[in-house]
Amino acid sequence: MNSSIPRRRILATFGGVFAGLLALPAARAVKKRLAKAPGAPRDYDPTKHKWLMCIDVDKCIGCGLCADACKTENHVPEAAHYFRTWIERYIIRKPAAGSATARGEVQVDSPNGGRGGFAPTLVPREEILKSFFVPKLCNLCEDSPCTQVCPVGATFDAPDGAVLIDPTYCIGCGFCIQACPYGCRFLSPVTKTAEKCTLCYHRITRGLKPACVETCPAQARVFGDLKNPVEDDPLQAFVRNNKVNTLKPHLGTNPRVLYANLDKEVR
Amino acid sequence: MRFFKLPPQISRLVLLIFAIVVSYLVARTLLTPASFRDRGFYRGAALTELASFTPVFAGKKALGERYPEILKTLAKGDHKTLSCEGCHGVVDQQQLKDPQSKMIKPTATLCLRCHTDNPSRPAWFKQIVLKDHYSDKCLECHLPHEPNETPPEPAEEATTKPAPEPAPAATKEAAPQGSPEAP
Repeated sequence: MNSSIPRRRILATFGGVFAGLLALPAARAVKKRLAKAPGAPRDYDPTKHKWLMCIDVDKCIGCGLCADACKTENHVPEAAHYFRTWIERYIIRKPAAGSATARGEVQVDSPNGGRGGFAPTLVPREEILKSFFVPKLCNLCEDSPCTQVCPVGATFDAPDGAVLIDPTYCIGCGFCIQACPYGCRFLSPVTKTAEKCTLCYHRITRGLKPACVETCPAQARVFGDLKNPVEDDPLQAFVRNNKVNTLKPHLGTNPRVLYANLDKEVR
Repeated sequence: MRFFKLPPQISRLVLLIFAIVVSYLVARTLLTPASFRDRGFYRGAALTELASFTPVFAGKKALGERYPEILKTLAKGDHKTLSCEGCHGVVDQQQLKDPQSKMIKPTATLCLRCHTDNPSRPAWFKQIVLKDHYSDKCLECHLPHEPNETPPEPAEEATTKPAPEPAPAATKEAAPQGSPEAP
């Protein structure tokens, strides 16, 4: 072997590298202890909770307070296409005369996410077969397609059932936005990262309800913890008293947002 | 002395592969965030970071401690499911701590936001067509905190039961706003 580089120096270099590698885990442990977020609630253990959201379509009155509250609570950009939760209005028209169908054309709209409420007459009343509001949010999929496509591990299923985005780690590639079959994610123009419903993670870890559940005047949204059932648990009552369904069950995403009184037209 | 000597091209290759593997391991250790893989393929610290934001809405529970009588009145009527901040606007943590802070008085637009007749609203929900209704001055006839009651006429105040009368503490609230001017 060519001996222009002395063997001793090579050995010393490699020895140094090895020593450095051995020291790294210790350094990381120290760094981890220093990097505790201040203001976070201390006694919250994500493995001891399992959150669930239930929505009763028949109770939603389309006031838009939830969409409004969500924007305020989570500082979501104001523009009309950034939403973590929003309300859709479904209008199913009467079938055309002689068409031999049960229901006519379906119209779906969500003006400004339903934030300011809905104008009463989009379609004349006599042409409407039926109409209803559907509040939408992240469906908290058990097998979430959005977390599977993330190339950097920035979005993940938290042990407590929330599907979250690590804002400091997201590179803003937008894969998850395309993967979500429910359109629940958007690319924030402020942070340039993907954003979505966090179930108001900073609220639920403090024992508060999510902002949308808090402000809903009709109790169309029921929120609770499956691992810590309370007396007369509203979640159990919801599932027992209603015919419960999920959105797009054929996709196999196993959403954990349960809808009651869901019409087949709702996607 | 040596029984076996690696040919130079092989030992160079071994060294090269060794260097590549080592530099990969070093790079991975340096670039992986501290709490990565604590719980799964993500930064475990992200959970505490996301939980560390300050809540904006104070919530009905916290406000109920501040206005217990109003909450008691509210719980009697059909508006028992409403949250304070839906109509009165956000009360953040700072305002909650400040005893001087007052809640915003809601206006009729907020009544109409929910109660305007709309074919999409469920049938059980009380709705009005404004042009067929008395006026848009809802508070003249309705008390938002107790929608099942009507504000008493000033003259016959004695005849109506005093219990649902809003307590003096409620003056900063919107409920009794319309009552003295009732026609």
